[in-house]
Amino acid sequence: MQTLLKILQRYSNFLVFIILEVAAVLLMYYNDAYPRSSFLSTANRLIAWQYDQVESVCSYFALKGINEELVAENAKLRNELVRYESLTEDSILSREVIYPENEVVYLPAKVVQMTTNEVHNYLTINRGLADDIRKGQGVRNEDGVVGIVRTVGQNYSVVLPIINTHTNLSCRFLKNDYIATLQWDGKDNRFAQLADVASHMVVNIGDTIITSGLSPVFPEGIPVGIVENCTLGTGDSYYTIRVRLYTNFKRLKYVEVIQNAHQTELDELENGLD
Amino acid sequence: MDWIRQIGRYIVVMLLQVLFFDQLHLLGVCHPYIYILCLLMMPITLPHSIDLLIGAALGLVMDVFCNSLGVHMCACVLIMLIRPYLLGTIVNDKDRLNEQISLRVLGWEALIKYVIVLVLIHHFCVFMLSAWHWHHLVFVLLSTVVSSIVTISVIFGYNALKYK
Repeated sequence: MQTLLKILQRYSNFLVFIILEVAAVLLMYYNDAYPRSSFLSTANRLIAWQYDQVESVCSYFALKGINEELVAENAKLRNELVRYESLTEDSILSREVIYPENEVVYLPAKVVQMTTNEVHNYLTINRGLADDIRKGQGVRNEDGVVGIVRTVGQNYSVVLPIINTHTNLSCRFLKNDYIATLQWDGKDNRFAQLADVASHMVVNIGDTIITSGLSPVFPEGIPVGIVENCTLGTGDSYYTIRVRLYTNFKRLKYVEVIQNAHQTELDELENGLD
Repeated sequence: MDWIRQIGRYIVVMLLQVLFFDQLHLLGVCHPYIYILCLLMMPITLPHSIDLLIGAALGLVMDVFCNSLGVHMCACVLIMLIRPYLLGTIVNDKDRLNEQISLRVLGWEALIKYVIVLVLIHHFCVFMLSAWHWHHLVFVLLSTVVSSIVTISVIFGYNALKYK
């Protein structure tokens, strides 16, 4: 016993070191696998608030570009509206058919913090539990897919963008509905890789990729990107495809969270199951 | 009194880190972690295990800012473990180590060795753990070298200005 205590005393520093390193590795593992705590992330109220303040100063420098994008977006939407209105005028279809009750609701949010140059990138948005944000909701902007909500705090949330090596996104080709999986190799934030495309498919450069709608996260048809180049080595049964993403993550300032219109009902159902 | 100053410096350095150096993103590979200045310049009067705990705490705070729980904690605990042994081999006159580690105590030669070794270990550890794959080794090494150069210059600059 005495010798044991002596040994422990002698190596106590080393013991503390081992315990702390094991704790760090466990934290790393559990944070990747099951992110629970919004307190220990940038969804933390104080930290997100500080980023929010910095962002509100920095955002002045980007206002001109954002205004131009908004004007273009407005014009596009107005044109679409005109088309729909002409439909209601001379149509035997009732208004309810043309304007069905929305299944999804887009909630605008501001990006308060974002990394783009790491292997595991994250972004923080200024919406949280108070705005009915839930883990697993999709996030997009006007150009295309952005990512999936990962940790939700009271007023802020952390989003896992598609430029994070942990993300998998179910996509399809616009031209023939061929389903594939979008992944990111951690290198260039403008490009992602498309997996599971078998060699019998004809892939052309410039093919459009959209979300498949197979998972409840994203509705079908949100733009993802276009095929930049594709290679098929001799003997390979799957293509190596590089996709140029529509979303410019370097300049991401505003996003929209995709929410289910019946979120409260879904919550009640899920709570009832437990 | 000395420890209040240490904490004050930590807050200032952390603000600089989060408000300026985290936003830098030069060339995609430059992400200096200057907050370890506080760990490197801390006096080694405390027991070694307390040093390790301080390292873990500071690393964890940085992790919360980076959404990377455990990564900085791991790297900081490692450099805090190595620190006294490294100082022991670099510095001949052990009595001088009872005060704040600085240019005045170590002199340029020892300071350069001490800072370069620990910053390289810390940065390599952080980038490797956050990449978590040998596949990204080139990116990791490039990030380590570029970011370390910035961090090391900041620490030298701090010492040169304070103890000229």
